[in-house]
Amino acid sequence: MSDHGERGSRSSGSGDAPSPPIHLRPAREADLPSIVPLLLRLKRLNEEFDPLLKVRDDAEQQARAILKADIANPKAIVLAAEGVGADRDKVVGFVRAHIRERAFYAPEHEGVILDIYLLPLYRRRGVGEFVLGEITTALKAKGAGIVTAEFPAQNEIANRFYTKRGFRPITAVQARSL
Amino acid sequence: MTQGSPSRVDPDRAARRKARRGAAAAARSEDRTDLLGERAIELSRYFGGKIETVPKVPVRSLEDFALWYTPGVAAVSRAIRADPERSFDLTGRWNTIAIVTDGSRVLGLGDIGPQAALPVMEGKALLFKVLGGVDAIPIPIQVGSADAFIATVEAMAPAFGGINLEDIASPKCFGILEELSKRLSIPVWHDDQLGTAAATVAGLLNALELTHRSVRTARTVLLGAGAANLVTARLLLALGHPARQLTLVDQKGVLHAEREDLDELELHNPWKYRIALATNGGNRTGDLAAALEGADVLVAASTPRPGTVRPEHVRAMAKDPVVFALANPLPEIWPEVARAAGAAVVATGRSDFPNQVNNSLIFPAVFRGVLDARARSIPDEVVLAAARELARGAARKGLSADHLLPTMEEPEVFPRIAAAVGDTAVRLGIARRRLSHDEFLARARTLMGRPARLVRALARARLTPPMPRTLPRRRRTR
Repeated sequence: MSDHGERGSRSSGSGDAPSPPIHLRPAREADLPSIVPLLLRLKRLNEEFDPLLKVRDDAEQQARAILKADIANPKAIVLAAEGVGADRDKVVGFVRAHIRERAFYAPEHEGVILDIYLLPLYRRRGVGEFVLGEITTALKAKGAGIVTAEFPAQNEIANRFYTKRGFRPITAVQARSL
Repeated sequence: MTQGSPSRVDPDRAARRKARRGAAAAARSEDRTDLLGERAIELSRYFGGKIETVPKVPVRSLEDFALWYTPGVAAVSRAIRADPERSFDLTGRWNTIAIVTDGSRVLGLGDIGPQAALPVMEGKALLFKVLGGVDAIPIPIQVGSADAFIATVEAMAPAFGGINLEDIASPKCFGILEELSKRLSIPVWHDDQLGTAAATVAGLLNALELTHRSVRTARTVLLGAGAANLVTARLLLALGHPARQLTLVDQKGVLHAEREDLDELELHNPWKYRIALATNGGNRTGDLAAALEGADVLVAASTPRPGTVRPEHVRAMAKDPVVFALANPLPEIWPEVARAAGAAVVATGRSDFPNQVNNSLIFPAVFRGVLDARARSIPDEVVLAAARELARGAARKGLSADHLLPTMEEPEVFPRIAAAVGDTAVRLGIARRRLSHDEFLARARTLMGRPARLVRALARARLTPPMPRTLPRRRRTR
């Protein structure tokens, strides 16, 4: 995918939002030290929602390995969010998504948003909207016919975020301990 | 850091000696607390609780009940049915509030449940009556969730002119106050948030004045991020305190926007989360010591343990710092120790030291004011008006390091606070009754003065028995 200007004025929805205080670009391996802790923050937050989402002891190595693989994988997208102005070279968030094949359904390629994380100071003001718009465009460019998002069922904040933007539940995943 | 004035004693040694004396005083105060406790149990049994309802109308014979009750009362009900607002004119609603608790955080006792909270709520009702002339009904409720709490209070609101929430655990108390304030058209107050914060802000305004500082330029550290300090932070910001010079510190250190637990806070304590984003640690990270480096003001509302704030913390602050150590019953640092370390002004939550930051300076007058204005809510502007007037009350008698706030022995200030509250409610357009300043003041003086006369009259008539003299210790050994 090509570069994204921070002035990405996605028209739909938040018309009064000023240009977001972040800039998105494809993540590089050199970003791993910044992105790994953010991914871990996100997974640790998921622990709050369900004990079956307890983070493994080796989660940090896992995060590094998975991010590294995804950065190189043409069927995956990892974008790094950088601040603007004084925060220009600081990675303040990221988004990770996969292109997944749908064996039985059409359209046959699904863009799955797996992780979106932004440091608290870089939320609101239309930032989430902007990130969602950018990743959706990138997934579409890779052939996705639908976009989905995976997050803990109890995460009401994520639930509201996506519902407000036209998403609806299509698959449920239920779990119990063994 | 060296001390300003040369002193023959080593300040550290003096501080240690004072700390030892403080500890001895604390031990004595614990003994005293035990004695008071025994006496309180005996008296509670003797008097059978602390409050009762008393008629406010003449009852010459049972025939009068044709007016006070059926059939006459039906017309009163019909009138209110036609215009519900008339319930403020035709019943005691104008002066009656509910003191509602779930007993989840009572005094320093913790989650003791609604029954055990009742004596505290009765005591609060007594304070409301004696200090504010307000009829307050203690209502501890057994509920399983914040939603059930909210629904219960909403259901009882038609009987009351205001709601005082009491002793509810943080952060649940924030959501309950916020939601009830939204749903009800009568004022809702949570004393542990608003009362404490208003009294604190009043003291701070005077402390800043006294040390030639301004709230617009001060650098302030709040230790503890519970009910009181989160609201103190909000009020300071509303007063123009620069957000980037305001640092909150809790057990995990400086509360800033990139702290690891922020996401968890967003879920479970959005109020603390918001303050974390607004202040972002006053551009600091680290621990209390890092936060206090060069700070003008410390407001500790945290752990009731002297030594939570240490002399070296105070010494690291700016020259002539302001130190409020508000934990009860034991302050985070003894006033003598803070002064020996250079504090120019010290306040605590205790009545046995100068400068007591005390909710009772605020809540009776605030309710007097909002009830007299028949206000629909209590926005922060009203809280700040009360704080400012309280601060002015002390200034009127002359500010000094030992006189930052009025004491309960300066009652003339309270009707003034009530009037300031009433004026603000009128100005904000939330008053059902728009009286003039002088009318609010006169009314508050009358209504706040009446209970003392009532209590005296009841005692004179022997309707309240005199205090029994028996010392509890002696009685027990008999």
